[in-house]
Amino acid sequence: MSHNDEIPAAAHGYIALTPAACTSCMLCVRECPSWCITLESHAVQTSEPGARRPTTVSVLDAFTIDFGLCMFCGICVEVCPFDALEWTPRFDYAASDRSGLVQAIDQLSGSGDQR
Amino acid sequence: MRTVESSRWWEELSALAVDGFTYLDYLTAIDRGTHLDLVAHVVNPDTVEHLLVVAALPGDSAVVDSLVPLHAGANWHEREAAEMFGITFTGHPDPRRLLLRDESAAPPLRKSTPLPARVDTPWPGAATAGGDDAAGRRARRQLPPGVPAQWVAEGP
Amino acid sequence: MTPAAPAFRLAADPTVRVVVANLGLACCSLEVDVAIQRGLLVPDEDGAGAAHCVLLVSGTVTDVLAPAVVRHYEALPGHVSVMSFGACASTGGPYWDAPTVTQGVDRLVPVSVYVPGCPPRPEALVAGLLALTAEVSA
Repeated sequence: MSHNDEIPAAAHGYIALTPAACTSCMLCVRECPSWCITLESHAVQTSEPGARRPTTVSVLDAFTIDFGLCMFCGICVEVCPFDALEWTPRFDYAASDRSGLVQAIDQLSGSGDQR
Repeated sequence: MRTVESSRWWEELSALAVDGFTYLDYLTAIDRGTHLDLVAHVVNPDTVEHLLVVAALPGDSAVVDSLVPLHAGANWHEREAAEMFGITFTGHPDPRRLLLRDESAAPPLRKSTPLPARVDTPWPGAATAGGDDAAGRRARRQLPPGVPAQWVAEGP
Repeated sequence: MTPAAPAFRLAADPTVRVVVANLGLACCSLEVDVAIQRGLLVPDEDGAGAAHCVLLVSGTVTDVLAPAVVRHYEALPGHVSVMSFGACASTGGPYWDAPTVTQGVDRLVPVSVYVPGCPPRPEALVAGLLALTAEVSA
């Protein structure tokens, strides 16, 4: 780049997901004004050693953000109780078709192909 | 703020103009659910006093005198309020639509007018954390914020 | 905007020459000016060589303006690639539920590249132009 301005680390460029931190609570999905987040989960029963009875936890199956629809308002980042969503300054994810802007867990978490 | 009878809308605004409130800053309406509030913001340019004038209109027969002969600047505001809220301004010199093209469309800013996109789009938040239970029932039916229950498309 | 749109070279890759017809319909179009001001796009009016012609739709396409968008697309000479810049142009964005807003410019004209953002950064414009020209050249 020909300019000296660094893009701030807190720039609202992209919303990244840490799947391990997500409890599938649905708060982000329900607060999103653009209805651009989807989340699928299933419940499993786990028994902690020493616990009196098994507890039910939600397991994240699918999570998508449609960046074609997203208005980058950050409400999802704000409401997440476990900081599973965070801003990143990434900007280079233009897509040649509309569906390419719908990003799933592997892209959002950086574990898969970035493009 | 001054509340006036809608039948005296013209008289009240005329009297205010005589008293120096000669500048109409803005005119719009608010759908209160039970009725419409017609709101005019007038300013006295000499004293810089300003005043909100509010008149309640029944939603099913929202008719009021046009202020255009008094305030030429009311022209576009009234055309916008007419198409957005379904208000008839009696005596308006040019009652064409201002922004909307579809003559048959229901006034979009009435709370009773559904937004087609919000009716047709299934709300992603309707899914339940943990998915459906073993019997396939949803634990608690969630509705999207700000969307009346009767608008919401039935999910799968 | 006229069909005689300005030509630029990309500072990130000076071999890329683009003619950008910016349909600035809302705030996203400011990012295009910022990209020029910051030297990411370098004016190249007199430069020689082939150029990619890009119709840059930056902003909210209302149903009332939709015919004008189509007219501009058809008025541009030669091969034109359409860039949908920002959420409004791509899907309606924050106005996705508005009855008066076109839910994506791709309902009017074929789109070659969608740049996400609300607004996208100037750098995202450059990244989108690089993606677009790479695709056209391939």
